[in-house]
Amino acid sequence: MDALIIDSTEDTPQVILDPKENNFILSERSLPENAIEFYKPIFEWLNKYKNDPNKLTTFNFKLDYFNTASAKQITKILLFLENLAINHEVKVLWSYQKDDLDMKSSGTRFAKLIKVKIDLVEI
Amino acid sequence: MSSITGDLDYALELFRDMQRENLSYIYRGIFSQKITDNILSLAEGNLTNVGESSTVKKRVFSIMVEGLQNITRHQDENLINEKDRTGIFVIQRKGDNYFITTGNLIDKNHITKLTGQLNKINSLEKDELKKYYKEVLNETEISKKGGAGLGLIEMARKSGNKLAFDFTEVTDTYSFFYLHLEISRSKDDARKDTDKEVNESLKSIKGLHKILNKENILLIFNGIFNQDSLINLLTIIEGHMSTKINLRKRVFNIMVEMLQNIVKHAGKGTVESGNPGIFFISEKNNLYLLNTGNYVLNSKVEELRKKIDYVNELNETDLNNFYNKSLFNFEIDSSKESGLGLIEIRLKSQNKLKYTISKVDEQFSFFALQTGVN
Repeated sequence: MDALIIDSTEDTPQVILDPKENNFILSERSLPENAIEFYKPIFEWLNKYKNDPNKLTTFNFKLDYFNTASAKQITKILLFLENLAINHEVKVLWSYQKDDLDMKSSGTRFAKLIKVKIDLVEI
Repeated sequence: MSSITGDLDYALELFRDMQRENLSYIYRGIFSQKITDNILSLAEGNLTNVGESSTVKKRVFSIMVEGLQNITRHQDENLINEKDRTGIFVIQRKGDNYFITTGNLIDKNHITKLTGQLNKINSLEKDELKKYYKEVLNETEISKKGGAGLGLIEMARKSGNKLAFDFTEVTDTYSFFYLHLEISRSKDDARKDTDKEVNESLKSIKGLHKILNKENILLIFNGIFNQDSLINLLTIIEGHMSTKINLRKRVFNIMVEMLQNIVKHAGKGTVESGNPGIFFISEKNNLYLLNTGNYVLNSKVEELRKKIDYVNELNETDLNNFYNKSLFNFEIDSSKESGLGLIEIRLKSQNKLKYTISKVDEQFSFFALQTGVN
């Protein structure tokens, strides 16, 4: 399956969904006005990916900031990974800058709410 | 969680004053290159959003560039930490005219020379001004701070009007120099005098500046809100805040949610350009007060009231639980609404939200919201 790569802008994150390299990354800032529209191609891609996923999927969230509209879409990605983990190996990393209590507590929040293990990584 | 002591009445007063104008935009503080660039694109974007003609836009833009360069050139790194000594930039649209005001500290020793230059420029007619520009360009050695008055001549030429100016004493050595320009939107070749009206308008800016200093207001934006203006405003405030990362991020967070509320929910706007509203931010002893004001439909007022009152009543644990619950409530999940904005604002500010809603007419009310972050 072809990788989905979306370059970052000043209000949307960089997206890398690359099964060949087992590289799944969401990084930088996510504060689009219309989060549903931005995340739509990501969910379309993921829905195809789930038909023939890697043995191991390693998904790394490396966000500096996200707005509430994006929070809901990130929750949906995590729920997707939770589902994928039923029959496949899934590793979720939540990376945050040292001193960034905000992103750290978001990671902690998701780790409590999602039934797939989320490793918090200080970078 | 504590309660904040911000003065919402004062905020409302400011809203009311500014509502009469279609656009006004004030920045007060340090003028870095990045901040200056964003001030320019924010103003430019808004000229476009209010449907200004390209001729007027160009003239306003070039005067803004010269004015901002004047401030950055004369900005003294040693003095800008004092709140009454930071530069100020103001653009307003009143009826058929734009007004641009710049203010910066200058050494008192330069007042006589500067006054001479300004009076000379004001005494010249259009053609003479063009000639004078060439003269100055050829004769004077360019000082290391650039200029030699060329910027002033350029501004006078572009505005088509005389330059209003004033000095206010700040210390024994320094004065504050105000430069105030009027740009007519209608075609009018004759240069107007710095008449009573312009001087009155400069006087009102000086009065406003006093209040801004007292309240330590960093920025006021009264204009059209869309995603572009939001990004510009964020970048300006980010550049301004040298405070520690967590406070900065919380201010950033709240600002995004408050401004996107205007972008998505406010009334009286258009889909193409955005919604009218006002935003201003002040800082005192590391307490940041963020204020927004916008129109809401009368039919939505009750629902809005209920939502805010509800999140205000919750303690931190309940707020977190409510946030989590809303995060998984996919019944509310559209391009307009995630159901999380107000909860997030309340959580991140750790203070109760202050608001007022006042009826404007049969269709709309004015909604003012204030959040304190410390």
